[in-house]
Amino acid sequence: MPRPEPKTITFTIDGLEVQAPENVMLVDAAKHGDVEIPVFCYEPKLGNPVGACRMCLVEIEGIGKLQTGCSTPVKDGMVVHTQTERVKIAQQAVVEFLLINHPLDCPVCDKGGECPLQDITFGWGPGHSRFIEPKRHFVKPLELSPTIAIDRERCILCYRCARFSQEISEDHQLVLLERGAHSYISTFDGHPYVAPFSGNIVELCPVGALTSLPYRFRARPWDVEDAGSVCTLCPSQCNVTLTVRDDRVLRVLARQNDEVDDGWLCDRGRFAYPALGGDERITEPLIRDGGELRPVSWERALEAAASGLKRAGERTGAIAGGQATGEEGFLLARLLREGLGSPHLDSRRAGTLPLELHRALSDPALQAKISDLEFAHSVLVLDADPIEDMPILDLRLRKGVRRHDMKLLEASSEDLPALRELALSLGQHGEDVVILWHERLTAGPNGPAATQALLEIAASLSMSEVPGAGLLEIPAGSNGRGLREAGVLPNAGPGLCELDDAPGRDARGIAEALIAGELAALYLLQSDPLEELPERDLWEQALERASTVVAHASFLTDGLRAHADVVFPSEAYAEKEGTVVHPDGRLQRLRPAVARPGKFGSTLAGWQVLAKVASRLDLDLGVLTGSMASQQLFDAVPFYAGLTLEEIGGRGVRWQERETAVTS
Amino acid sequence: MSDKLLFKDIDEPGLNTLAVYRRRGGYEALRQALQLAPEDVLKQLEASGLRGRGGAGFAMGKKVSFLPKGSMDKYLVCNADESEPGTFKDRELMQKSPHMLLEGIVIASYAAGANRSFIYIRGEYVLQADVLDAALAEAREAGYIGEQILGSEHSLSLVVHRGAGAYICGEETGLLDSLEGKRGNPRLKPPFPANQGLYQGPTLINNVETLSTVPTIMRMGGEEYAKLGVQTSTGTKLVSISGQVRRPGNYEIELGIPSREIIFGLAGGPLEGRQIKCWFPGGSSAPVLTAEDLDVPYDFDSLAKAGSMLGSGAIIVVDDSTPIVELAIKLAKFYRHESCGKCTPCREGTNWTVEMLERIDSGEATPMDLDIMASVQEHIIGNCLCVLGDAMAMPIGSMIAKFRPEFEAHIESARARADLNPAHPAGHTAGHQAGASEQALAAQGAPGA
Repeated sequence: MPRPEPKTITFTIDGLEVQAPENVMLVDAAKHGDVEIPVFCYEPKLGNPVGACRMCLVEIEGIGKLQTGCSTPVKDGMVVHTQTERVKIAQQAVVEFLLINHPLDCPVCDKGGECPLQDITFGWGPGHSRFIEPKRHFVKPLELSPTIAIDRERCILCYRCARFSQEISEDHQLVLLERGAHSYISTFDGHPYVAPFSGNIVELCPVGALTSLPYRFRARPWDVEDAGSVCTLCPSQCNVTLTVRDDRVLRVLARQNDEVDDGWLCDRGRFAYPALGGDERITEPLIRDGGELRPVSWERALEAAASGLKRAGERTGAIAGGQATGEEGFLLARLLREGLGSPHLDSRRAGTLPLELHRALSDPALQAKISDLEFAHSVLVLDADPIEDMPILDLRLRKGVRRHDMKLLEASSEDLPALRELALSLGQHGEDVVILWHERLTAGPNGPAATQALLEIAASLSMSEVPGAGLLEIPAGSNGRGLREAGVLPNAGPGLCELDDAPGRDARGIAEALIAGELAALYLLQSDPLEELPERDLWEQALERASTVVAHASFLTDGLRAHADVVFPSEAYAEKEGTVVHPDGRLQRLRPAVARPGKFGSTLAGWQVLAKVASRLDLDLGVLTGSMASQQLFDAVPFYAGLTLEEIGGRGVRWQERETAVTS
Repeated sequence: MSDKLLFKDIDEPGLNTLAVYRRRGGYEALRQALQLAPEDVLKQLEASGLRGRGGAGFAMGKKVSFLPKGSMDKYLVCNADESEPGTFKDRELMQKSPHMLLEGIVIASYAAGANRSFIYIRGEYVLQADVLDAALAEAREAGYIGEQILGSEHSLSLVVHRGAGAYICGEETGLLDSLEGKRGNPRLKPPFPANQGLYQGPTLINNVETLSTVPTIMRMGGEEYAKLGVQTSTGTKLVSISGQVRRPGNYEIELGIPSREIIFGLAGGPLEGRQIKCWFPGGSSAPVLTAEDLDVPYDFDSLAKAGSMLGSGAIIVVDDSTPIVELAIKLAKFYRHESCGKCTPCREGTNWTVEMLERIDSGEATPMDLDIMASVQEHIIGNCLCVLGDAMAMPIGSMIAKFRPEFEAHIESARARADLNPAHPAGHTAGHQAGASEQALAAQGAPGA
């Protein structure tokens, strides 16, 4: 489907000639002339404007009544006034109306200090109220859900939360009950509002009516600092702003990046942060001593890890979990290959994929990006369940269907002829088709045939030529794509390059070799095979048999508690420095928002641990800082060539869209 | 009256049946219309100068012409929600002459190219909805509604949909939302229903009386119809007269006659020994006029010039036995109750106005409150999403402007009464009752409480 191409027009606002894209709403067009028109109900993320709050009334020459700037598309030659007496009176009136039933309890309100109602009252309000009647009262606060409190007295009935529930997450739970001045936001029968994206309404609320229960009364806006980062709890890699107070993350907010998350977060990403500062975090190195893991000094832990690994030598295997950064994966691969001479490392959950297939699937011309999901003629979801595998895509797919008439289909790779027929029927006339598939498609006995079929379908639909068409893989691990590109694969080096030596064993092969005694040591980089990998029984045996298990972990999960010999505390995403790669190839940067755990943040970063272990194995990795690790990674992967952390910045860079991608 | 059109045979027994309606020449206009091209039917409607009879007074032919041409699904919706206080003309039309409405709908749908139609009738009109259903069954049977009507290429489906009783569902976009099965809230305009109405399709919405006039226009010819009435208000109009008059009821008048002729001539004037204090010329949302305005010609433009509006054609007469404050409270409470709550000025403004009026009535106000109340009305007018807010603010504003001394006197006497008996403020204590019911409401709507 063709993407809209904005035409630039010129209009006049407050006597100033301003250029803006045609047909954007006046409130947005005004920003091009540095004019702010106040709004409450308007939020472009929520779809069509509703014109409910009436805050954005402006005067347009040639139209008698005042118009809502949020719903009036700007046209060439339009003359708009936002500062006339008429407009001022109307805006003051709306603020006065909104405040007559608002409790004005700002000093005890979480929103105070970051509240649009406060800001607009100061900027556009009359400065006093003539209302002396008793205000409307509701029982408050109530739990709208286990994570959200609702204060109906503060609510200005802007409809944002109800629109989110009706038109964005489409869970249809939030509604307005009663009417007129008695209206209030509720669920149909007072049931808790439990939905996968419910937390977004807290951020949407322009007043303190919806507040986050975990954040309630934890901080005021002037107590906190904002830190931009990326949530790596799933492959969605949504951009987030972490609210930090006294070196603790107190809140997670969306940091809108339309190419990644459209400004939304799932509830897991938004509400899982208390675990970061939880008592169960590992804050010191541990080694097994008399059957128990006990805290020891860094020196002893590093020594124990190095000696165990040295004993095993090339009989070492390694697994990297999805939380690891590309840099950590890259250094782990160097440690294994160069330091120990072992080729046995993996980051995939689905088993080895032959290199030529892997490369064919990674062809830049075949890669769909996130926004393609929204505008495609049709999207075929293959072997994937977006809400589980990559939740934020659920909203994107709904948006495509609702706003762009995208056709959404689901299929499984179990019946390949049927799949082929279905997929080809979608693109009979050269339509742009996107296939959203999950790594699990390549697993199991059917995997190779399914992978082959997928590539054939892509070729038949000419995906590499049709603009907007393509494949988008959801990897099992959050940074699955980044780890593969960094060379954490048994059969490929950095940038999926061919290895000089024979390929190593994949994850399953490592387990089997450990059981058979062919491998002795196991290096687990933020991975517990019992939790993350299939065939738990197999891994129980493998871990049991391994003579040395070295792990980087944030929490002591079952496998580590029972089997790890050395455990290094590892950082959570809010503490990490490095890069991850989004499933569509976008390199994104993690920045430490809070200090690493341990007394005064004394624990070492993941890359540091790897470097120190390597040096004890007589390998100098040559990394003294986090950015040196990044530089090594960018230098090693051909299609990252020339990349810098500055270029990645806060928005990320899709390597397929860089010039070097074409030449390499 | 010889110039009756809609009410010509209205009291004929059995007019609601197809047989009697046909004997009186019914459905001939439809037969005639179907022999013309749709554009020619539209030309007749435009030539008639017929203005919408529901309240806004928009030219009906023009509205039809706004519908886009093309083969997309188009809808015709008949607004039979007649919820404006004082208005009861559509009720009589539907109850006594349902086929005239049906015939009008089919002709209008032919002109507009609409193939699906709905009559949205207010839930309280149980009898009238039953009559319509019966008439619809007869009309379907006789081939006036359905596939290939009277052998022509035109097909039309018609559904009588009963509302659940909300003033706001008489507002055209609120009606459409309600018809779609949603909460009846007004939509933002533009897009206007002619472009994106019911189910996002082009939609023609007209009032019962407007559509019922269509067969007459076809029979007379648009130009001939336009000769009735005055220049910009052509034809005849049904007027519902209620309130303190001797002969309340529905009357058909030619537009442009002096208002006095309606109130005194037809309705018999005020009751014995009473004087007219004020009158609403077009339903309760029209600004009030006084006895001085009785000679204003009853047509769209003259009433607008006099500072009010013809609206739905419902004249409510109030005599000097009614305190203006009581009238204002009654009116404001109605609009507060019916405000949907979607937009700020209407939701908060109607509520605030009621509370101020109740304060005046209970002796807790000063004359300064009148200024605040007047300015609140000004802040509502023109700033709302739909016209409901204006519908309260215009009459209340006009009452304050025209009867300020009476308001002030009321404030003074209520204060005096309250001072005499401070434990029990005089007048209505409805304000406190409302507070109590709101608390009950809050407790009710308390999830997890």
